[in-house]
Amino acid sequence: MTRLARIAASAPVPVFAAIGPGRQAETERLLARPGLRRADTARDAAILLVAGDLPEAAAPALARLHDQLPRPRVTLRWQGEGADETETALTGAWRELCAGGPDEEDRLPDAPTNAWRGVGPHGQGGEGMMGGTPYGRPMAMTGADIRDGLQLDRYSATLGPFAPMLPPGMVLDLTLQGDVICEAAVAEPPFAQPAEADAPALCAARLLRLLGLEKAARRVIGGRRPGALWITGAVPPGLGRIGGADLRARLAAWLADRPVTVPAFDLPALLAGAEWCEAMLILASLPPSELIRAARRDAAA
Amino acid sequence: MTGLLVLAVLATLLAGTCFAVLLDRAQPALVAEFFRSRVETEAPDRLNRDLAPAWYLALAAIGLSVVPFAPGLALIDSPAGIVIWGSCEALIVVTVFLHGWAPNAPFPLIGAYRYAALALPVMLPSMFVLIAAALPAQSLSLIAIVDSQREIWNVIRQPLGLPLFLVVALALTLRGPMDYADGADIATGTSAEESGAARATWYLARAAMLVSVSALAATVFLGGPLGPLLPGPVWLWLKTAALMALTAWLGHHVARPPPGRMLTLLWIALLPLSFLHLAISGVLAL
Repeated sequence: MTRLARIAASAPVPVFAAIGPGRQAETERLLARPGLRRADTARDAAILLVAGDLPEAAAPALARLHDQLPRPRVTLRWQGEGADETETALTGAWRELCAGGPDEEDRLPDAPTNAWRGVGPHGQGGEGMMGGTPYGRPMAMTGADIRDGLQLDRYSATLGPFAPMLPPGMVLDLTLQGDVICEAAVAEPPFAQPAEADAPALCAARLLRLLGLEKAARRVIGGRRPGALWITGAVPPGLGRIGGADLRARLAAWLADRPVTVPAFDLPALLAGAEWCEAMLILASLPPSELIRAARRDAAA
Repeated sequence: MTGLLVLAVLATLLAGTCFAVLLDRAQPALVAEFFRSRVETEAPDRLNRDLAPAWYLALAAIGLSVVPFAPGLALIDSPAGIVIWGSCEALIVVTVFLHGWAPNAPFPLIGAYRYAALALPVMLPSMFVLIAAALPAQSLSLIAIVDSQREIWNVIRQPLGLPLFLVVALALTLRGPMDYADGADIATGTSAEESGAARATWYLARAAMLVSVSALAATVFLGGPLGPLLPGPVWLWLKTAALMALTAWLGHHVARPPPGRMLTLLWIALLPLSFLHLAISGVLAL
């Protein structure tokens, strides 16, 4: 092992977690440990941690996620082992990678998953210089802007089930104009999680990460004060209001270690019209148990 | 002398970048990035993808070259040093946009547009604050601005200047409350598709920009190379290091509001405040 490789091996282990049913709380607590680092994008991770048993339907998404990690990379499955044991396994795998240990090949062929059905060499040959469905993705077509009536491109995409800013397992069908959500539909509800995932510290930490306070999130999960400025003030007043309490009030309650309950809500209506960052904050401000209940209702409808 | 100044600018940039990495405690993670491969996205704009970090580094170097290392001594001794710095600021917005544009992917592009929307209302207070500092010196030259602080530093004469400029510094270095290009809600935005050496280079360019913007703030508000006993460059380095530490601390400890809220604050609070600051400074300079 060269000197540089030894320095690299001493870095916090960059992990991207594919969290399965029932494993959200454990995984969040594990990745808040000082020697580990939860990557915000698969491109920034070396180790794919698969926590728990993923349903069969999520297998293709897991294969795609696996191939998004830059090489060298390694996959670790976390079943029933304790957190200490898993931390040791992660650190060991990272050291081996830095020392030039085994790498993993792509699971999927490096080819488009759908056929080219565009019009023109770049899909620009149809109506309004856009047409067809190149590689299975429809070109963005203009539509009325939901805010001020302009005609803007509408871009449709499916996000999840392992998107780092969404609850684990959740798949959303989104139509966007820029970073404003025009329409949102629940394709798959989040994976079921035990009540432990509703713990105030974990809920507060999810919001703190979205507010750019990674270190504060770790401190809160560790049972300490966040040690950051302007936390609740940064949240716009009135955002994500459900039954009298807005996002700011829910965050304040969680930071004071009080559990939060919300009355029944309509999830697509909460997200429609929200700017992307606000929408992700709204999703993270709903206790997982209530979010899962609401999303299941929408997915069934 | 010019050769010595070129050396001083490059050495300051290099040592300062290392200091910025230490401030973030990112040195092992940075080394580790260089062991990892780069992933190609579908139909990227390769030229701009590779050039974006290079532009960023070049802008940091150009910005630093107008900073006087001793009273009366700067690599680019321009009568309009502040304008050169201002053009660097404007080109940073283009650079960050290109970084988000190049991978041809949704999250980087959202980060790019978001940064462009946020950076515009940051550039305006920045210019007001710098022009206010130029008023007592009656010159846009940074050398003259340093000379005008022999009696009293601008941080005391114009108390709003440095706090307002720190907001600019956070925006130009994509840090904490002003990091709208690379936020966690969009999977690190313009960097979402970057891995390995490309990711590390982008981080290093941001660290180099922290040196440059801190050195400029030290010159404009803290008297730059002025100080007793120690030689001028040492005073500049000490003040730059202190401002780098302060900016890095703010980046790690202040929450980032959603872009809509920050836009409102910038246009409705910060911009009028910086204009008021300019008006008061103008009256005092008469």
